[in-house]
Amino acid sequence: MDAPDLLDDPFAQATVAVQNVHVHYRVPSTEAAERRRRANRLVRAARSVLGRNPQVLVRALSGVSFVARQGEQIGLVGQNGSGKSTLLRIIAGLETPSRGQVLAESTPVLIGVNAALVPDLSGEQNIRLGCLAMGMTPEATERAVPEVMELAGLGKSIYLPMKTYSSGMGARLRFAIATAANPHLLLIDEALATGDAAFKERSEARMQQLRAGAGTVFLVSHAAQTIEETCTRAIWLNYGRMVLDGPAPDVALRYRKWAWAIAKDRPEEAKKIIEQALMDREETSVYVEEPVPSRLYTPRHVRPARVGAAAGRS
Amino acid sequence: MTGASVPPLRMPPMSSSNGAATAAPSTAGVASYAELLGGPPVTEVVQAGRLSRVGARPSLGSYLRQLWARRHFLWAEARAKVGSGTRDTILGQVWLVAKPVLDGLVYFVIFGLILNSDRGITNFLGYLVIGIFLFSFTTECVTGGARSIQSGRNLIRAFSFPRASLPISVVLRAVLNLVPTLVAMFAILLLLPEQEVWTWRAALLPVVLLLQTLFVTGLALLLARATAKVPDIAQLIPYLMRFWLYGSAVFFSYEQFLDHPTVLAVMQANPMFMVLDAARDCLLYGVTPALSTWLGLTAWAVGTLVVGFLVFWQGEESYGRA
Repeated sequence: MDAPDLLDDPFAQATVAVQNVHVHYRVPSTEAAERRRRANRLVRAARSVLGRNPQVLVRALSGVSFVARQGEQIGLVGQNGSGKSTLLRIIAGLETPSRGQVLAESTPVLIGVNAALVPDLSGEQNIRLGCLAMGMTPEATERAVPEVMELAGLGKSIYLPMKTYSSGMGARLRFAIATAANPHLLLIDEALATGDAAFKERSEARMQQLRAGAGTVFLVSHAAQTIEETCTRAIWLNYGRMVLDGPAPDVALRYRKWAWAIAKDRPEEAKKIIEQALMDREETSVYVEEPVPSRLYTPRHVRPARVGAAAGRS
Repeated sequence: MTGASVPPLRMPPMSSSNGAATAAPSTAGVASYAELLGGPPVTEVVQAGRLSRVGARPSLGSYLRQLWARRHFLWAEARAKVGSGTRDTILGQVWLVAKPVLDGLVYFVIFGLILNSDRGITNFLGYLVIGIFLFSFTTECVTGGARSIQSGRNLIRAFSFPRASLPISVVLRAVLNLVPTLVAMFAILLLLPEQEVWTWRAALLPVVLLLQTLFVTGLALLLARATAKVPDIAQLIPYLMRFWLYGSAVFFSYEQFLDHPTVLAVMQANPMFMVLDAARDCLLYGVTPALSTWLGLTAWAVGTLVVGFLVFWQGEESYGRA
């Protein structure tokens, strides 16, 4: 028998369920056309007095749904501004979606690019603070500190203030801190892109270890090759919409072809690729089954028919 | 299935469609995007019992429990940041004591020596020192607490923890900063030529400080949410604090207002006036503070804390976006 394909294993437990998530932002825009539009003279005068720009609605994510299972490493691909980092922050619960919801079996831990922790404190103090912030006890923190230092591999620099670190050093420290608590759900936002080869090796081993403990890892990377090599599954986002969700090699390959077509300025070809991907996509709708409260087992003949009701919701 | 020891909720019977991808017929009248393009919709069924919504505001009880579980984090954060404003100076932590002393000196020169506003106040210097030192504790908590969500943005974006930790940690830091300030205050009181009446009532000071701390914690929580929603409030706070400073009898006696009944009533209902009045009674004049002061102060402290906590907790899901 072949090695079990994690994607098709129907009995792997769901760890994260993203249900029809929409994210909208209202942000100021300096676009001249926006300035003239939808405003009478009074509003424009008020704006210039306050020194404010008109607000526009940005749809960072529209209608994203999928279910992640244990043991999966899911790569998110897409061009800059396609909503990858927003999706990670939403899954981590650090931001609330405008519509829809995210369910998770445990608290996800996000490693972001710009989480600077406390710049004035040394790396060592930041490790302690980070571990405690994740809810570890002081004893567990003390046990974890040497491990984290080793994984980060910063040598004597660990005792220097974090504001003196290069971006690569900061990223290594953050990764090491975030994995200290053995999170079941790890979300990595480009954090590993800045590490050197030796660290890359160590961090990949660490992620492998986390996944083996029935965890799920999400990874954002611009390098489609990284996704292809390390992930089991990939999700392609474009302008906040899900283009394709499937096995990593397939999705990453299509994304690379598309990105190549865009880079070579061949919009027709790019359009064809993305349309084909949309066609091949299986639209997912997530139905949340409420727990049966009092009895642990409900006989089949008294179970409410759920499948029919499920399809109406998404 | 593995052994029967597995809790049924974590691993439901196989007949349940947990996690399984089942193609379901669409009963919705509107054809979806994917159906138009050819792909059949897939319905994924997940069980709400095993999964919970991320970033959801927990119930009040579990919020308090989570906060309690993070007490070590609060303590470590407060301790790590004590004196963070003076780290780049040569004298370092000495400034924690020197700053309030200099503050006291400024007010003493202006109000004691130049304006002579000490009429009718016995031990004016002691009166001034207690007023300024304790009021600056409140100022630190209120201004720091109001900005705590903005200044803790990095931590908010990095970790999920009960957000009330941030304003509470500001208050904790101020309490730690208060320790050297209190040492300076006692030194000044003992070294000054004027006579204090030292009695057992000095032991009541911690109770007064506790009530003050509870009160400012509530205020910090309240203002943290308000400022997260409307950042402009942070700009207004210094001015309101100045009004409050002049309205709390920090460097003149309220006895001047005795013929203005309304002003007097407002002043006496002011919690900071109660704090300063009680502290001075205990330390300077050897008098037990009046029962009305105790009751009023307790009501302010408990009321503000409860309201502030509830208001902050209500907005728990909104801070990630601010």
